[in-house]
Amino acid sequence: METTPAPVVRTIAQAALLVLAAPLVTGYVQKLKARLQCRAGASVWQPYRDLSKLLRKGTVQSDTATPFFRAIPVLVLAATATATAMLPVLWAPAGATVPLGDAILLVGLLALARFLLAVGALDAGGAFGGMGASREMTVGLLVEPALMLTVFSVAVSAGTTDVNLLAARRAPLLLSWTAPDLLALFGMLILALAETGRIPVDNPDTHLELTMLHEGMLLEHSGPGLACIALATHVKQLVTLTLVAALFLPVGLARDASPPAIALALAAFAAKVLALATFLGLVESSYAKLRFFRVPQFLGLGLVCAFLALALRVL
Amino acid sequence: MSVALAARLIDVLGGLLLFTMLLILAAGQVFRAIYAVAAQAVFLGIAGAVLAAATGNVDLWIIAFITIVAKAIVLPWLLIRVVRRVQISREIEPVIPVHLTLTLAAGIVVLAFHLNASLGPVRQTVTGNALPVGVTLILIGVLVMASRRKALVQMVGLFASENGIFFTAMAISQGMPLIIEIGVILDVVLGALVMGILVLRVRSSVDTDIADLESLKG
Repeated sequence: METTPAPVVRTIAQAALLVLAAPLVTGYVQKLKARLQCRAGASVWQPYRDLSKLLRKGTVQSDTATPFFRAIPVLVLAATATATAMLPVLWAPAGATVPLGDAILLVGLLALARFLLAVGALDAGGAFGGMGASREMTVGLLVEPALMLTVFSVAVSAGTTDVNLLAARRAPLLLSWTAPDLLALFGMLILALAETGRIPVDNPDTHLELTMLHEGMLLEHSGPGLACIALATHVKQLVTLTLVAALFLPVGLARDASPPAIALALAAFAAKVLALATFLGLVESSYAKLRFFRVPQFLGLGLVCAFLALALRVL
Repeated sequence: MSVALAARLIDVLGGLLLFTMLLILAAGQVFRAIYAVAAQAVFLGIAGAVLAAATGNVDLWIIAFITIVAKAIVLPWLLIRVVRRVQISREIEPVIPVHLTLTLAAGIVVLAFHLNASLGPVRQTVTGNALPVGVTLILIGVLVMASRRKALVQMVGLFASENGIFFTAMAISQGMPLIIEIGVILDVVLGALVMGILVLRVRSSVDTDIADLESLKG
């Protein structure tokens, strides 16, 4: 126990890792998609280059936007980055954790980021922004309750809503998966596609079509502000994937701070995220984007899976 | 294989069966529903094999094998052939909206599991959730038959319902006698053949939809 680093150090290290590695995951998915389309594709480091380019650009702002519009990107990034602090990445604490918050706060912070983005899009006064915001909130309405139900379903089995403790308690139970776990996992994978803005629900590559959800809200942002939001989008994607990994595959988490244990934990984390990112890329390459009015049907499947996962756990 | 391990595996397979059932309900296209019911039959066959290994019942091995061959390969192949032949639109035409059917299905699952509590005295070979999962599959299969307009998707519902009956029988009685199981599977195959031929003939001679037959009622 003495060798475990202080909870604060642990939390900061994990959050920093998540924020720094987030663009790499997006880069990997884009590279995978390019390879599946028989293109060479941009390097996996491309998202970092885009971010550094945006940070060096100036900002142009809509005339109708209020001063609050300037604060939106920073607030969105702050809310998303705070969410990273609640996830177990490398360590599964045996004892004390930083009492930052639990899975409910995590989902709440993601919802806050979504809300701020929508407010910013409406504030700028563009038609695309308003439409994107309306659609994004519709999707959020379906995703967030289902996400909560999934988290609750797992939390009931572990007896806590703190994701760190949850992962630590479930790690030894990995091979005793039951039916509710499976249903929750399937529901979560469907929700992850929506939450990361991937193809059956949203198309992350499109910028000038009426089909876009998330990108529509970004149109009025530019320069460093756009960089903040782009980074927040990458981080949100990695947070979602890490949440799936923490809830359902909490293996390989280190118990202490010895270098071999950390290296093993890092490798396990990379493998889990790689597998989930590959899932995202494969789905995105093999499915067409759904018509928007079909999205509730697709997400309804996730919602029903999540509901049943909780119902079967309780009944 | 120990009985406890078998019970856990059957429980997990029950979860997979439920998920494939939801996939059948949520499928927007005929092909997806057919693939989902094929996957369901595969899981059912695996469940039969697990039970066979746990109880040492040789008949169950044969039944599991026949299930996978007949329900996961032959029947879906037949259905896909019919769909290709009649060149119907691939969209599923629901009578009531799909998300409403999904909600109904969630209610059915909760009811079936609630009912399970009052079925306590029923002797089960596999303790756990096998019985309510079987009941759920039967009821949702009927729901699919009732809420879809296309005859082919109604057949998918029938197969799913049959899978449920099979799973329930396995959960309660270690599987029915071999001769009955073979008879039931032959029945289903025959039913599928008759329905497939009927769909083809109806299509080629009068070019109509099953729902149009309603107007023939006196």
